[in-house]
Amino acid sequence: MRTLVIEDEPKLAEALRDGLEREGYQVTIAATGEEGFFLVETERFELLILDVMLPGRGGLEILAALRRRGVKTPVLVLTARDSVEDRVQGLDAGGDDYLVKPFAFSELLARVRALLRRGSQDKNQFFQLADLELDSATHQVSRAGQPLELTAREFDLLEYLLRNQGRVVSREMLTRDVWKEPARQTPLDNVIDVHVARLRRKMDDPFEPKLIQTVRGVGFVLRQEGC
Amino acid sequence: MLNPFRSGHIRTRLTLWYVSMLASILLLYAAGSSVLVWWDLSRELDRHGIQDIETVEGLLQLRPDGSLFFNEDYHNHPESKRVLERFLEVLAPDGRVLLRNERLGQGSLGGSPFPGEGAGGYSPRWARLRNGTRIRLFSRRHNIGKTPILIRVAYSEDAIFQPSRQFLLDLLATLPFTLLLAGIAGYLLARKALRPVEEMASRAEGINAETLGARLPVAAVDDEIAHLAKVFNQMLARIEQAFDQLRRFTSDASHELRTPLAAIRGVGEVALQKNLGAGQYRDVIGSMLEEVGRLTLLTESLLTISRAEAGQIPLHLSEFPALQLAQETGGLLEVLAEEKSQQLSVSGDAGALVSGDRILLRQALVNILHNAVRHTPSGGRISVTVEANGDDFVSMRVADNGPGIPMEHAARVFDRFYRVDNSRAAQTGGAGLGLAIAKWSLEAQNGELVLESSPSVGCTFNLKLPRAKVGQT
Repeated sequence: MRTLVIEDEPKLAEALRDGLEREGYQVTIAATGEEGFFLVETERFELLILDVMLPGRGGLEILAALRRRGVKTPVLVLTARDSVEDRVQGLDAGGDDYLVKPFAFSELLARVRALLRRGSQDKNQFFQLADLELDSATHQVSRAGQPLELTAREFDLLEYLLRNQGRVVSREMLTRDVWKEPARQTPLDNVIDVHVARLRRKMDDPFEPKLIQTVRGVGFVLRQEGC
Repeated sequence: MLNPFRSGHIRTRLTLWYVSMLASILLLYAAGSSVLVWWDLSRELDRHGIQDIETVEGLLQLRPDGSLFFNEDYHNHPESKRVLERFLEVLAPDGRVLLRNERLGQGSLGGSPFPGEGAGGYSPRWARLRNGTRIRLFSRRHNIGKTPILIRVAYSEDAIFQPSRQFLLDLLATLPFTLLLAGIAGYLLARKALRPVEEMASRAEGINAETLGARLPVAAVDDEIAHLAKVFNQMLARIEQAFDQLRRFTSDASHELRTPLAAIRGVGEVALQKNLGAGQYRDVIGSMLEEVGRLTLLTESLLTISRAEAGQIPLHLSEFPALQLAQETGGLLEVLAEEKSQQLSVSGDAGALVSGDRILLRQALVNILHNAVRHTPSGGRISVTVEANGDDFVSMRVADNGPGIPMEHAARVFDRFYRVDNSRAAQTGGAGLGLAIAKWSLEAQNGELVLESSPSVGCTFNLKLPRAKVGQT
C-alpha cells in the first residue's frame, strides 16, 4: 500500500512513517504542500495523510486543488483544530476523514484501515483466536469448547477486539465504535476499564493462555502471547 | 478657525451657549422695553396734543382789524416744555395761512386741509416737515366768532423718540457688563459642576490591568455624576472579578498541565539513567503515555470551556423524556457502582419531557453521576429521581448518601479546578472541570445546576431543565 504523508513537523512525520511501515504500508513523506502536490501528480498513491497547517499552500488548498484535478485517492486530514466548522471545512474540501491532534496512533491506523476498506465491508461474522470462538450471527462465545455467558456490552467489546485482533485498540476507538459515545470522557474510560476487567474474568482468568493484554498508556490488544 | 462652540471643554461650550442665549434674551428684552416706552410716550403725546389744541383754541383772538392774534403771554411760564416746542399753524378753510408760530416760521404743516380734517376729532397722524423732521400732527376745526378756522398743532417725533432711544442705549450699554458677569459666573458654575467629572477622568486614566482595585471618587451628594461614578465603579468591580477569574484560571490551568508534564519528565529522565530491560522500558513509555492521555483530556476540557465561554458550542435543542436519558446514563455507569457495591437506582416520572441538547445534558449527567459514584463510599446508595417541577421545569436529582460536601466548599464546587479533596484528584484523574462544564451546559440549555447538600446526609445535585411545552398531560 503506497501512502503519502504530507506533514511539516519532522518528528510526527517520522513517527507516522515508522508506525505505518511496521503495519506494512510503503510511506513517502512530503514536508510541504507543493512537494506533496508534485508527488501526487507524478506517482501513484493509494492513500494520502494530509496535515491542514502547512507552510506555503495550506493543506485544504492542496486538497481542493487535487480534487479539482480528479484525484480520487482517499485522504485522511490531520489538524490541531477541531471546531465543527473546521471539520466541515476539511470534509468540504474533499477529505474523507478527519483526525484531531494529538491522536493515538492506533486510532490513526483504524481510520486508515477504514478508509482503504471503504466499499469492501468486512462481512466476517465468525471469529477465532487460539481456543476462543465467537459467532456474531448466533451471539455465542466459547473458550476451550465451554460456552461463555457474556452481557451484550461484553459481547460487543469482545467482537470488536476480535475484529481488530493483533492490533492495539485505544479507549477512544472503544468509546466511539463500541459505546457509540460522541466524545471521550474520563467517566467512560473508567467504564471501559471495568468492562474489560469483567470480560477478562470470564474469558481469560479460568483459561490459558491469556488473550486480552493491556498496553499501558495506549489501550488493549487481543492476541496470543508470542505471536 | 477653531469654532469655540465645538471646544473640547464642556464648560467653555456651556458658558458660550449660556452667554449667547442670555444676550439674545436681553436684546429682545431691551428692544421690547424700548418699544413699550415709545408707545407709552406717544400716547402721552397724543393726550398732550389734544389738551394743547384746546388750550390754543382759547388763546386765539380776532383783532379788530380782522387778523388773528395768538396770545402767548399765557405761556410765559409754561408747565410743559413741549408747549414751547410745538409747531402751530392756523388755516382758513380754503387753505389760506392765517397764523404760524415762530418755531414753525415759514414752514408748513401739511398744506391745504383734506376733507374732514379736524372735524369731530383731532386727526392724530404722522407727517414730515420740509426739512425732514418727523412730526406728530393734530388738527381741529374751530370757530372764532363766525369765522371758521383749522388749527394744526405738531410736535417733533424726537420728543418721544429721543427718550426711547436713550432708554434702549442705556439698556444696551449695561449689556456687555451683565453678559461678562453672567459669563464668568456661568463658567465658574460649570467648572464647579464638572470638576467631579474631571477628577473621575484623571483617576480613570490611571487604572490599568494592574490597578483594577482602584475606584473612582464618588461625590457625597447623590446626583447624576455620583450615579455615573457608582456605575463606573460597579463596572470596574465586575472587570476586576473577571480578570481575577481569568488569572486564577490561567494559573490553575498551568498548574494542572505542569503536574502530568513533571511526571513525564521525571519518569523519562530516571529511566534513561538506568539500564533497563525491554519490558521495563515498555512500562516507562506506557506510564509516560498515560500522562499524555491525561494531558490530552485536560486540554480537551480546557478547549471545551473556552469555547463554551465564547459561545462557540452550538446547541441542538430537542424534546425528550428525561427519565429515559437518566436510565441510559445510569445503565452506562452502573458497572462503576457495582464495582463499589453501591446501589444505583433510577426512578421517576416517565412522562416528563424536557427541552434541551440531549448530548450536552447526557455529558453533564454522566459527569455528575460519576462524581457521585467516586465520592460515595463502597456499599452506599445513589439515586437519580426525575420529577416535573411545576409546569416550567423538570428536575433530575442525583442524590447520594456519601459524606456530602462541607458547607465551606459548597459555594465553590462549580469553580473550575476546584476540588473538595485535593489529594484524591491525582488518583481519580479528575481535573476539577467536570462540574464547571456541567453547570455551563445546564445554563446554556436555560436550565440550572444546583447543589442541595447537607454534610450529614450526602449530596444532591439538582439538574433543572425547562419542561417541554408540547406533549404534556
